Amino acid sequence: MRKLGIAALGAAAALTLAGCASGGEAAPEEGAEIRVWLVGTDTPDAAREYLVETFEEEHPGSTLVIEEQSWDGLVDRLTTSLSGSDSPDVVEVGNTQASAFTSAGAFLDLTEYYDELGGDDLLPGFVEAGSYDGRFYAAPLYSGSRLVFYKKDALAAAGLSVPTTLDEYIANGEALAAANPGKSGIWWPGQDWYNALPYIWENGGEVAVPDGDQWDAQLSSPDSVAGLEQVQQVMTTASRAPKDANETSPEVGFCDGTTLQLSAPSWVKWSILAPADAEAPGCPDQEENLGVYALPGIDGGAAQVFAGGSNVGVSAKSAHPELAVDALKIILSDGFQTIYGENGLVPAKLSLADTLGADEVAQAIAAAAGNAKLTPASPKWADVEAAGILQDLFVEIAQGGDVQALAEAADEEIEAILNS
Amino acid sequence: MTTVDTTGPDLAPSAGEGRRPAPPRPTRAGRPRDPRARRARRGGLTPYALLTPALIVLALIVGWPLVQLVVTSFQEFGRAQVFGAPPAWVWFENYADVLTDPVFHGVLVRSLAFAAACVVTTMLFGTLVALMMTRLTKFFRMLLSIGMLLAWAMPALTATVVWGWMFDTAYGVVNHVLVNWFGLAEYFQHSWLIDPLSFFLVAGLIIVWGAVPFVAFTLYAGLTQVPDEVLEAAQLDGAGGVARFRLIVFPYLKPIFLIVTILQIIWDLRVFTQIFALQDIGGIRALTSTLGVYIYQTSIAGGDFGHGGAIAVITAILLMSISIFYIRHLAKEEEL
Repeated sequence: MRKLGIAALGAAAALTLAGCASGGEAAPEEGAEIRVWLVGTDTPDAAREYLVETFEEEHPGSTLVIEEQSWDGLVDRLTTSLSGSDSPDVVEVGNTQASAFTSAGAFLDLTEYYDELGGDDLLPGFVEAGSYDGRFYAAPLYSGSRLVFYKKDALAAAGLSVPTTLDEYIANGEALAAANPGKSGIWWPGQDWYNALPYIWENGGEVAVPDGDQWDAQLSSPDSVAGLEQVQQVMTTASRAPKDANETSPEVGFCDGTTLQLSAPSWVKWSILAPADAEAPGCPDQEENLGVYALPGIDGGAAQVFAGGSNVGVSAKSAHPELAVDALKIILSDGFQTIYGENGLVPAKLSLADTLGADEVAQAIAAAAGNAKLTPASPKWADVEAAGILQDLFVEIAQGGDVQALAEAADEEIEAILNS
Repeated sequence: MTTVDTTGPDLAPSAGEGRRPAPPRPTRAGRPRDPRARRARRGGLTPYALLTPALIVLALIVGWPLVQLVVTSFQEFGRAQVFGAPPAWVWFENYADVLTDPVFHGVLVRSLAFAAACVVTTMLFGTLVALMMTRLTKFFRMLLSIGMLLAWAMPALTATVVWGWMFDTAYGVVNHVLVNWFGLAEYFQHSWLIDPLSFFLVAGLIIVWGAVPFVAFTLYAGLTQVPDEVLEAAQLDGAGGVARFRLIVFPYLKPIFLIVTILQIIWDLRVFTQIFALQDIGGIRALTSTLGVYIYQTSIAGGDFGHGGAIAVITAILLMSISIFYIRHLAKEEEL
């Protein structure tokens, strides 16, 4: 009995502790395999094929494998896998998450390759996000701002036109929701906090500002609260999305007709227009009806939106660092980056900006990118994201909670993490 | 001595078998000592030699990580330390922080209450299903067994995702049925996960659904060993179903009930997958985290392995004390 109980406890402990174990080093041999982690479906298939083919051509005998990861829980997964002995060689990381790893020494120092990878042609904000203490650890991968996608026929049927100010955008969303019962004038699931940032910034608020060597969270400042109240207004009156859902698969509602407008990263266009028989089916028949514009600011022009995007680095534990750096060079080559541009993502190099083309999406991207902004530049910011504080905050705001009190509580939690 | 002790994990059939010759004695007084209690004295070093391989494996895969965990819990151990920076020793600071943190208190109370509810429900349904299995015809017993086996074999993550779809706010079948078949309009776009109580209802449903098969199978195996003649005699003496269960079946199966309950307590207290996956689907993390998820959030997601380690050690101590309490309780009763 006792033995069995202890064995059961042992099994319980073993399961709790699984993932902390470490193994032996793999010996680098000829015919090495380079593992590249790309996150989400953002990177187009053409770019993936280009990377694999080019790499294997340049390095006969070696192979390159792309392993797709999900954005959800990425910081957790990178922490465990980059520190283990079977670390992937090249990894993509969200630009706001990069500093958690550059500051911890998880990435190989790429300073000596800076010029070879693109030098000053690389997107400056992303170079900054990938640098720590004067050293360059993670190169820009691509940038993509959020755009507003809408159904042209729905906007026309309600007698509305593309809004020019944030207030007009909100009013349009409410009008659409009122004219189409059960449908979202602006689809906004509660966990989607990225979309709330423009409202805070446009009202003059901030998430957190540096104060000496400490951080001062600002969500409960009068300006931020004004923005958060607008968020609540949209979430409660214009959106019919679940108040506690996350923002994945926005194409589902758009294709079944319950979403009339939504704000999402630019590549969502390809999710919406995916073939109807794809694994994640879209609705290609909506191509003519799919309109897009940059979120308008409070005084007109483009709003200050969140500058989303990714950095890419080489794991410090990579078994084949030279090969991994070679793969990184291909990723930052004009050939690879052009494919991003052609698919509506801002390439990592300034000189390739014109690959975006001149269509509606490209214009919207250019307008949005011109006024994009980042989350607080602290290595601990990734922990705030991973703790889900902002997701919780907006789920409660979506339910009609007291904005001031919720913002104050969130500020306290954010400061506790940033200043720990 | 206990019967379980001598038979190891294969406890179900032998628990009854060991006592088959003896009539059931609900009062326990005056039971003759089992002759096998003396057997441990014989054999010299052989038992220890046989135990050694298992102990080495346990020490390697459980002991070493456990030592590491305890060491980490005394250090300031962040993401930089994971990648090789030397950690600083803070000794009991992490423990003091955790034990005075109201968030941890909330998590602890929530976990205990949730685990208790899950254990009680699981044991109740498991027992009822096991009793039902003894009454079913072979065909239906087979059908039920296959169904339960499938539920038991389903990975927790898969189960949670599927249940999550069924309870989906916008497209879930549960809301659809409630609205369209039962005309309950208030369930249109009803969010099942947003209210913590309702969140735990769904989580509990998934956990109980996954745990009942194990309890039912184990108890059913035990039930087949309860001698029919004793039950028949009791029936002739006028004992009803409830009395027969309380006075004959339960005493026979008591060791099985105990070990299964302990396992359920341990499993339900450290539940992770179901809560973690559900939190992603919906709900508010801060109001629904249980111990397992909270350790993960603090350590791996938050990159604070020192505090996470302290919480994990506290959890391990808690689980061990609950188990040891029950084991001693059992051992004491057996000695009488």
